[in-house]
Amino acid sequence: MANDFSLRSGTEHGHRTSTRDLSRKWDYARLRRGVFGTAAFLVVWWVAASTQPTYLLPSPLEVGGALWGELASGALFVHLGQSLLHYLPGVALGVTAGGALGIAMGWWGRLDDVLTPVVRVLRPIPPLAWIVFAIIWFGLGHTGAAFIVFIGAFWITFYNAYSGVENSSRELLEVATNLGIDSEYRLIRRVVIPDATPELLTGIRTSVGQCWMMVVAAELFGAPGVGYEIITSANNLAMERSVAYMLAISAVFLASDWGVRRLEARLLRWQP
Amino acid sequence: MTDTVSSPAPTVAVEGVHKRYETTDGAGTTALADVSFTIDPGEFVTVVGPSGCGKTTLARLVGGFESPTSGRVLVDETPVTSPAPDRAMVFQAYHLFPWLSVQENVAFGLVEQGVAEDVRNERVEAMLELVGLSDRASAYPAELSGGMKQRVGLARALAVDPGLLLMDEPFGSVDSQTRRRLQRELLDIWRTVEKTVVFVTHDIQEAVLMSDRVLVLTGTPGRVRDDVTVELPRPRDRTDDAFIGYVDTLFDLVETTI
Repeated sequence: MANDFSLRSGTEHGHRTSTRDLSRKWDYARLRRGVFGTAAFLVVWWVAASTQPTYLLPSPLEVGGALWGELASGALFVHLGQSLLHYLPGVALGVTAGGALGIAMGWWGRLDDVLTPVVRVLRPIPPLAWIVFAIIWFGLGHTGAAFIVFIGAFWITFYNAYSGVENSSRELLEVATNLGIDSEYRLIRRVVIPDATPELLTGIRTSVGQCWMMVVAAELFGAPGVGYEIITSANNLAMERSVAYMLAISAVFLASDWGVRRLEARLLRWQP
Repeated sequence: MTDTVSSPAPTVAVEGVHKRYETTDGAGTTALADVSFTIDPGEFVTVVGPSGCGKTTLARLVGGFESPTSGRVLVDETPVTSPAPDRAMVFQAYHLFPWLSVQENVAFGLVEQGVAEDVRNERVEAMLELVGLSDRASAYPAELSGGMKQRVGLARALAVDPGLLLMDEPFGSVDSQTRRRLQRELLDIWRTVEKTVVFVTHDIQEAVLMSDRVLVLTGTPGRVRDDVTVELPRPRDRTDDAFIGYVDTLFDLVETTI
């Protein structure tokens, strides 16, 4: 099991180091290729857009203009704020509940037996499919959108927590009992959760990313926020504004992902 | 909980122990058959034998990590039913908590026993000094060499002040120089702390160097082939004729089956 542990951390680690190395010392060759790729993409976009009307494909310049307009008027921040109102509670509650259930089912075999059939059936359902209930139960407001986000974060974190606990080291549990732990609560707190932390963090990072997709999808159905702006702009044929809001989602995704990676690096600094 | 966790060195009595493992095909294997012996307080007893003779199983039974199929294990007249800090184990694969620093690993048992923080810190410091790791107190296990990891393992076990120290091939994963140094250090430590030691190894030289008595386990299932008292003064010299004599005798006992 000790091997298993290092194997797991090994892959995680490789990933993190590569980003860390880049921030420490610029790899100019890589940067050059990246700039080239971006420029090529923009040129292709531009050329393609010049052959089409704006409502079919806005040009990069038009999108830039729209983005600037939304930034300058402050509208972008208002709508991002509305989306955060769905995103933050949804992610926070989903990660907490999913993580707790995953740990509980990974640890207590009986509970696992009881709930596995239900979990097997419910887990594959895409969070967005619950939109019908979200609308009926909570209406098309903040709560409904937060509910969709909650479901997404819940299953992602559940799955990672469950497998993290299931793979926890039997040897370390033995050591812990040998050193005087005699309650399950202490065992879970002192060994099971720390041992599953790499997986738990993977679950949290995936949730934090995926839930930006879910919040936008949920808002397409009418809850105010970035997703709602994307769809209403498109309905008004203001495609450049839709794309500007799409880019805003991309930006907050990158920012939150960076944040979680930083947290991960901090909490897992014990890994080789 | 009290602040002092000291347990005096106990006697160990293994009485008619059988250990059988059920396998999935239903056949089952017997690891130990009718194993009996006693160990006096403060004695350093080594269990040697070829791989598969059940010597690790024996240590695990004394530790309470497993229960005998029949027979019983008594530590100070009390039957062993589960692992406990008064029978601390040092493992071949170290099994340090990788997310805890060296000092947090050593403090683990003390925290769980509710030892007050100032007493705990003092004790951890003393243990780290004992194993020569004071300067690596805040390192994580992944940053340590095998020999250092095992020093942490030993310090962690000693920190809870067990009367009985169980060591399952503790130096089996380190290079031979480190191994010799650790053997010397363990003997020095054992001299200063009053502990009964059960030490499992397949290294016969190690057994002669370290122990008061050597239990030879052979066969499948494992049985006690012989019980050899090493009557050599410490520190022992590997090149000494009497030392070599013991090694030869034990080699013959291990090699030839009953």
